[in-house]
Parts: sequence; structure tokens; C-alpha cells
Amino acid sequence: MDKERGNTQKKRNSSLYLPEVATLINKREMTPDDSFFEFQLKNRSLGHLPGQFAEISVPGIGEAPISISSPPSKSRKFEMVIRRVGSVTGALHALKVGDSAGIRGPFGAAFPMAALKGRNLLFISGGIGLVPARSAILYALEHRQDYKDIIILFGCREPAQRLFTDALAQWQKREDIIFHESVDRTNGAPWHGNVGVITTLLPKLGKVNPVDTYAIVVGPPVMYKYVIMGLHDMDFSDDHIILSLERRMKCGVGKCGHCQMNDKYVCRDGPVFNYDRIKHLQEAI
Amino acid sequence: MEILKISKEDFNSFIDEKRTASAPLEGPGDSISGHAEKWKTIGVVKKGANFVFAELNSAAELCLDYDVTVLPPKKYFLPPKETLLKFIPKKAESYAAVNHPGPIALIGVHHYDLAAIHLMDRAFSEGERDEHYMKRRENSVLIGIYPTKHYKYRFSSSVIRGQFRKAADIMLVAMNGFFVVEILTEKGKNYLQGAELQENDFSLADIEAAANKIKDDQKIPLPIELVPEFLEKNHDHSAWDYFGGKCFSCASCVLVCPTCYCFDVRDEVDLTLEAGKRVRTWDSCMLEDFALTGEGFNFRAGRGARFRHRIYRKGKHLFEKYGYFGCVGCGRCAGSCTAGIAGPVKVLKYMLEHKQ
Ligand SMILES: Cc1cc2nc3c(=O)[nH]c(=O)nc-3n(C[C@H](O)[C@H](O)[C@H](O)COP(=O)(O)OP(=O)(O)OC[C@H]3O[C@@H](n4cnc5c(N)ncnc54)[C@H](O)[C@@H]3O)c2cc1C
Ligand code: SF4
Ligand code: SF4
Ligand code: FES
Repeated sequence: MDKERGNTQKKRNSSLYLPEVATLINKREMTPDDSFFEFQLKNRSLGHLPGQFAEISVPGIGEAPISISSPPSKSRKFEMVIRRVGSVTGALHALKVGDSAGIRGPFGAAFPMAALKGRNLLFISGGIGLVPARSAILYALEHRQDYKDIIILFGCREPAQRLFTDALAQWQKREDIIFHESVDRTNGAPWHGNVGVITTLLPKLGKVNPVDTYAIVVGPPVMYKYVIMGLHDMDFSDDHIILSLERRMKCGVGKCGHCQMNDKYVCRDGPVFNYDRIKHLQEAI
Repeated sequence: MEILKISKEDFNSFIDEKRTASAPLEGPGDSISGHAEKWKTIGVVKKGANFVFAELNSAAELCLDYDVTVLPPKKYFLPPKETLLKFIPKKAESYAAVNHPGPIALIGVHHYDLAAIHLMDRAFSEGERDEHYMKRRENSVLIGIYPTKHYKYRFSSSVIRGQFRKAADIMLVAMNGFFVVEILTEKGKNYLQGAELQENDFSLADIEAAANKIKDDQKIPLPIELVPEFLEKNHDHSAWDYFGGKCFSCASCVLVCPTCYCFDVRDEVDLTLEAGKRVRTWDSCMLEDFALTGEGFNFRAGRGARFRHRIYRKGKHLFEKYGYFGCVGCGRCAGSCTAGIAGPVKVLKYMLEHKQ
């Protein structure tokens, strides 16, 4: 299955590393550590595909790779969810509506949404993995007639960590998709849904046709191994498993070496990979 | 293009003239425009017991009869620290690229270092073109030379072929009192305009013999074509634990390597807080946090795994990507490693001797 790519950044004669200016037009807190951001570029729309990322920066603090969470239809005003873990993500959290940030991108290989037409889609998202997966989920829902069954599984550590709670509630209600959710533990919060790691949702699906279904898996590094084992139990072949991986990144364009995983550059060859193509790489999963 | 010769005295006086001359407006490269700039002239000079690339104050300082320089010349194209952008803190509108390299001539670059520059040229020009590196390269003239002295760790003959000629503008061969001058590019030809070049009367066989006069003491223990597959099969070889257990993670081997180009990018702000810059600095995959991600995940946390990655990058990944062995056999890593383990020859030999 061939990689899909959006318009990569316009050719910039002066520097590959020169960001464009984006204005923060909307921002809200989702959890104590995660906030939702909506940005607009000055002169163009970002032109991304589902699953791509951008390098976002605050001058004086630095740059960080962040997934684009909105579907391509929302590219003029695109969305991100940023978890505060350090200096750049901290500075981004301090931005106020009307402030500007630097953007380079979009970068990376996208989810192969066109090639998946006519198939069942099984989205498995853990924690902040929902952020990149959301761009593909919303794309699939916008093009609902192009796909057969759409199944969405979401799991996170505890109820307070749930992202996009409005969307989750809507997906729960929709008749034309299957949605299941789980938390690792309730941690005292009121919760009536499943408790247990995300793989405990797989048996609830009953019979899924592994030949006609593609699994799109995004989550923390520890999740992949267990989800892949679960999918194997359901007779999924490796080329029907699509993953998005996170690595440390600096340049985003295949030069700096930080994201390298064996011979692959996660920033250019990924972050989206077909499992079949990387399962032999010792540094992958 | 052409083969000529020049006496060593004439060469030196030409270099001295050049040092104070302005670079012509039309070249080299396309980015010297509007005003002429002085050539920055870099050559190999003696520093204590070692040789280094340094700016020449006089051609008399040139020391082209040398074994190896401490650092490779990559620092002129990918400086240890360089400014990519300037900005006013917190004002994203103020980002501006910084990229105005002046003309530079490098004199006395050994063929293996030229091969390494050719590999870097590929890496920085292919895919997304890195103008910071490429402008520096366009504005440079590389004058190469074949080694005239032994270096006990060198094994370049077993890992490089003719690719060094793709980076060189001019190649020199030292021959009793003269340099045979092989001009390889238009840029090289322009640079030499005004030099007292004479017709070459040495035979090609003699030139060839002089160019290849120094034989390496070491060589890679198997043909380079076989290395990628050999490494592929030996991902779990005991060598990685063995070398990982001895490695100090000091990164010297990467620092001195002409084909290591990984970098870090970070922001620096002036004390006034009114101006800042985004800088790129050399980085190293041998350091523990090179691959550490935001939430503390590190898929190359062990020293053995990092040691393996460095070897794989040279012997497999870069080779498969660019068609040239990713190590040019300069031997600097072997010479600079306190633990005495960094040299690819040693590593491959160990792997062959200790099957698994
Ligand atoms: C393709 C991709 C998509 C991502 N998408 C999102 C997203 O949608 N939302 C989100 O919140 N985060 C996302 N991340 C993670 C995010 O890039 C990092 O959390 C961020 O770079 C940390 O930067 P910092 O300056 O805040 O942290 P720092 O202060 O630099 O350090 C805190 C920690 O982050 C690590 N770190 C530093 N730089 C990076 C880096 N470039 N990449 C990864 N870790 C780093 C450090 O090793 C340290 O452990 C994504 C990462 C990648 C590679
Ligand atoms: S191999 Fe040698 S030079 Fe390289 S990091 Fe280890 S101890 Fe340092
Ligand atoms: S790996 Fe060692 S011998 Fe090979 S090019 Fe780098 S420093 Fe030279
Ligand atoms: S982020 Fe620099 S090579 Fe991938």
C-alpha cells in the first residue's frame, strides 16, 4: 500500500527550518495536562492528510513535532491537542488566543485513507494516540459511504484523562459506527463503562472479518505489542495492521537522525507504517 | 578535466595572493551577489604534535605532508554550532533565516574526507534540500590531496572508491618539488586563474604511483558489499553486549567522524531578552538521551544498542541509501576512543571471530 502525502511545505529557498506564522484562534483545556488548540496560517491552508504532523515552535523556547488532529477538511483552521510535558509544550500551553506560533509542515506519511476505501476500519487508540487517530476517524466519518463498518476503540488510564469527551459521547450514540471505550482504572471517578486495558475491548467485538478489515492503531509505545497480539488472535494479517509511531524528532525532514529506527526515518518514512513493513525492525515495537 | 603542474613555491605564493583577493562575483556558487568578499583560506597546519584544519595567515603555514587531522573538514559545512534563524522572542512573525556564507577554499583535504563530504552532499541535497549546508558547499572550493604519510588506523582503500572525485574541485599529487594539479570542475578552474600552472611532464603512471604510494596498514575484514547483509544477520551478536559493556558513551567517535552529521536544534535568547536565535549543534547517537521521547520512552537506551546503531548506520543504512559505504576509513574514531573499541575494523573482526 503506497504512502500518502499532503503538499509538503512550500519550497522555501532561504531555509528548510524557517517556520510560517500561525495564529492561535481557539484554545481550551481538555484535561489538566492536555489542551486543544486551533491555529490558522496567515496565507494558506495547511494542506495536510490524516495522520501527518507539523513542527510547531515558540521563538525563544524551541520546536516540537505535534500531530494534526483535524481532518483535511479543516485545514485552513487546523487543530492540535498538546500535552504539557516540558519546555516547548509548556510554552505552547501558555499561549493565549490571538498569539502566534511558528509552523513547519505538514510532514510525514499519512494514513492510507484512499487505499482503504471499501474496507472495514478498526480504530484502536490509546490515550493521546486519539489525537492523530482523530484526523483519520473524522475523515472516515465525513466519507462514511466510502467505508463499510467503522469500529472505534478508545482507552486511557482513568476517566479524567479522556480527550474529546463531546466527540466520544457522539460516537457512542451513532448508529452507523461501533464504539467501545475503556479506562485502565476508575481512580474513584464515577464510571459505568469498561475497566481494563484497551485489549480487553477486542473480545467484545465478536466476529470481525480480518480479511476485509484494516486496524489503525495509535497509542503509547507499550500498547502496540499487546494490541498486535490481540489482532493476531483475531486472525489479522500483519499487512492489515497500520500503526503510527512516535520518536524523538528535531528536523522533521530526514536529516537530524533523532527519529531513526533501524534504517527508517520515522519523520519521513512514517510516522504511519504498515506493520508488515516494520515488524522485522528490532527498534520498531 | 585537465592535468597540469605547479611548483610548490608558486603554489604557496598563489595561495597567499588568493587569501587577500576577492572572490569573483559570478562564482563560485550563486549566492555571492552584490559585493565581492575575501576568500577565507583554510589549510592543514601543524598544531603541537597534531594536524588541524585552520585558517591560514600565510601559505607558509601549510603542512600538506600529514597523516590525519584531528577533526575532519565537515566543520566548515556543518559547523559545531550554527545559527539557522534569528527572531525576537515570543514573536513568531520575526523568524528570519540566517544563511550568508562567504567564499571559502579548503586546501589539502585527503581523499577519504572528500568522499565523506560527497556523502554529506547527498544527505543534505536529497529529499528536502538543506540550504544552510548547500550554500556553504556552493561557495567552497575543495583542493584535495592524496595522503603522503601513514596513519596507523587508516583503512580507506578498503572502503572508498572514486567517489571522492565527485566532491573535489582540484586534486593535488605531491611529486618532488611540484604538485601535479588535476582540475576536476569549472569552479576549480576559476579558482586557479592566475596561478603559475605549467604543462605536466610527469607520466600518468608516475602520477598514479605517487597518488597511491601510501598503503593502509588496516582493512575492513570482508568486502564492503557483504557488510550490509552480514550486519542484518547479526543484530543479536554478542559483540553488542561486549562493546556496549566497554563503551563510555563519551561520543568522541562521533565527534571526529567525517560522515556523522546528526544534529540537535535549540533556541538561544540574548541576555537582553530582545533577540534570539535557533541554532543547530552537532549531536550524537552515542549519547543516552538522543532518542528519548517526551514521556520518557527510549528505544535505544542501552550502550550496546547505541554502539550497534552507529556501526549499522555506517555499514548498512547509509550504504543502502546512498550506494557508498557510510564509513570512509579515516580511522579517527579508532584513534580517539579511550576504550579502544570504536574502529569499524576492530568491530567487524570481533564479529567474525566470535560467531554469535
Ligand atoms: C510525530 C509526532 C507526533 C506527536 N504528536 C503529539 C501530539 O499530538 N500532542 C502532544 O502533546 N505531543 C505529541 N508528540 C510529542 C511531543 O512532540 C513531545 O512531547 C514534545 O516534543 C516535548 O517537547 P518539550 O519541549 O515540551 O519537552 P522537553 O522540555 O524538551 O523535554 C521533556 C521530555 O520530552 C522529550 N523530548 C524533547 N524533544 C522531543 C521531541 N522532539 N520529540 C519527543 N520527545 C521529545 C525529552 O527527552 C524529555 O524527556 C508527538 C511527537 C511526534 C514525534
Ligand atoms: S565507542 Fe569509544 S569513543 Fe565512542 S562513545 Fe564509546 S567510548 Fe566513546
Ligand atoms: S566510522 Fe571511524 S573510520 Fe569510519 S569515517 Fe567515521 S571516524 Fe572515520
Ligand atoms: S526528525 Fe530529524 S531525521 Fe527525523
